[in-house]
Amino acid sequence: MKRLLLRNLSKTYFDPYAGAHVTAVHDVSLEVQQGEFVSIVGPSGCGKTTILNMIAGFIPASGGEILLDGRAVDGPGPERGVVFQSFALFPWKTVLDNVAFGPRIRGLPKAECEKIAREYLALAGLAHAAGRYPNELSGGMQQRVGVVRALANNPDVLLMDEPFASVDAQTRMTLQEELTRIWQERRPTIIFITHDVGEAVFLANRVVVLSKGRILKEIAVPLPRPRAWDRLTEDAAFKALCGQVLQLVRSA
Amino acid sequence: MTLLLKLWSLYARVSARFPALRSIVPFIPVVALWAVVAESGMFPRAFFPGPLEVVHSFGTLVYKGILPDYLEDSIVRLAVGTAAGVALGIPLGVLVGLNQRAHALLWPVLLFFQAIGDIAWLPILLIWFGFSLTTMTFVIVYTVLFPVVLNTALGVRSVPLELHRAAASLGASRARTIWEVVLPGALPNIMTGLRNGLGYGWRALIAAEIIVGTSGIGFLMFDARRAGSVVEILLGMIVLGLLWYMVDAWVLAPIERATGQRWGLVTR
Repeated sequence: MKRLLLRNLSKTYFDPYAGAHVTAVHDVSLEVQQGEFVSIVGPSGCGKTTILNMIAGFIPASGGEILLDGRAVDGPGPERGVVFQSFALFPWKTVLDNVAFGPRIRGLPKAECEKIAREYLALAGLAHAAGRYPNELSGGMQQRVGVVRALANNPDVLLMDEPFASVDAQTRMTLQEELTRIWQERRPTIIFITHDVGEAVFLANRVVVLSKGRILKEIAVPLPRPRAWDRLTEDAAFKALCGQVLQLVRSA
Repeated sequence: MTLLLKLWSLYARVSARFPALRSIVPFIPVVALWAVVAESGMFPRAFFPGPLEVVHSFGTLVYKGILPDYLEDSIVRLAVGTAAGVALGIPLGVLVGLNQRAHALLWPVLLFFQAIGDIAWLPILLIWFGFSLTTMTFVIVYTVLFPVVLNTALGVRSVPLELHRAAASLGASRARTIWEVVLPGALPNIMTGLRNGLGYGWRALIAAEIIVGTSGIGFLMFDARRAGSVVEILLGMIVLGLLWYMVDAWVLAPIERATGQRWGLVTR
């Protein structure tokens, strides 16, 4: 089992404007099993992106540790794929080359890389866009590329930082449904950061509510899959869970 | 007014079919004005020759083989100098752009030496290297180097942090990230540097040829001054302008269209 373990994780940094040390993340412990889909939800400034950046290895932790499969995280690595809010596609690479980037870095033969990339593009319904450049795609399509680029590298954990926050509401619902479908097919471990309560509950098996750098509560989401918005919007259990989470977030 | 608009739309339509017209038509009024002033007899003909005399002199100099030889000399000098300047400038720019310490140490020095303009070096270079190719090459490399270094550094720093992070989280090493992320991301700025560098380099070359040269377009013009041949001086000036236009239209602009503009990094 490739387990992700956060043990007493904390992050303090010096704020030059305030002239003081600020604690962004305080003593956070969390265990994520392989194949789990966990949402971390909280208001802006609650430290959720800081946690994700530490798991990704982009910034060092001030205290505690992060263990993936028993090994301590130290810097970024291909076993932890990241999907960014700003998509972060390489503008000078075609969609195909963006998705093939990870496999190519791993040193796979060219034909193999292309095969993998095409397979994942098909998974996201993007086969027709393979030869295009990112700036020729809509925001929703760009983020589909962002998701499959991370998946094509076959990471142990997929870290998603408010990935659907900058696309329009309709596209967002479609992307959320597609993500649950892909998760069911491939069963990657996903940690999904969001400030949107409905999104957090819709996607995850478990919602972690974060407030002022601490975990407020973990809530299991036993809703059946596949999940679809036109069914769930009126679903009593879904609404009750959302209400519960929202209350926690607002009390924070 | 409507007539002017109609003429303009006619020009737009015709030039869309024959793009070469776009490079020729704007010069018609300029040449016409020149011809009118020359023909009016305002100035003595020997001081202010008309377009036809220049064309004639062009024919003669091409026929004698002087113009092609000089042109070749100038272009080879510029190409060699530019290639060396770029080969030095891009790595240096990447270093300064990526490494805080290198930036802290080198940036002030770069700004200082950038301020000592190309030909300001000529007096000391003439003492060190005499009237030689070394002197001329030094001036061109020097002139090309700084715009390339400074713009490359700027471009390197303009690559968003997220792209560095994306590459790292996909497993790319530092060297791989520089090659596949930093350099392409900096390319629009590198092109700006190259454009400026070539422009300055071209000017520096002419200046150096005037002072140092025994051949080249700059030498042609200065030699013509000694002989009192205004026609050949004008010819030299026109060749300079034309050559720059060709470098831009045939080399720089196509590269920019195929890279930064295609990728949406710079707006058309």
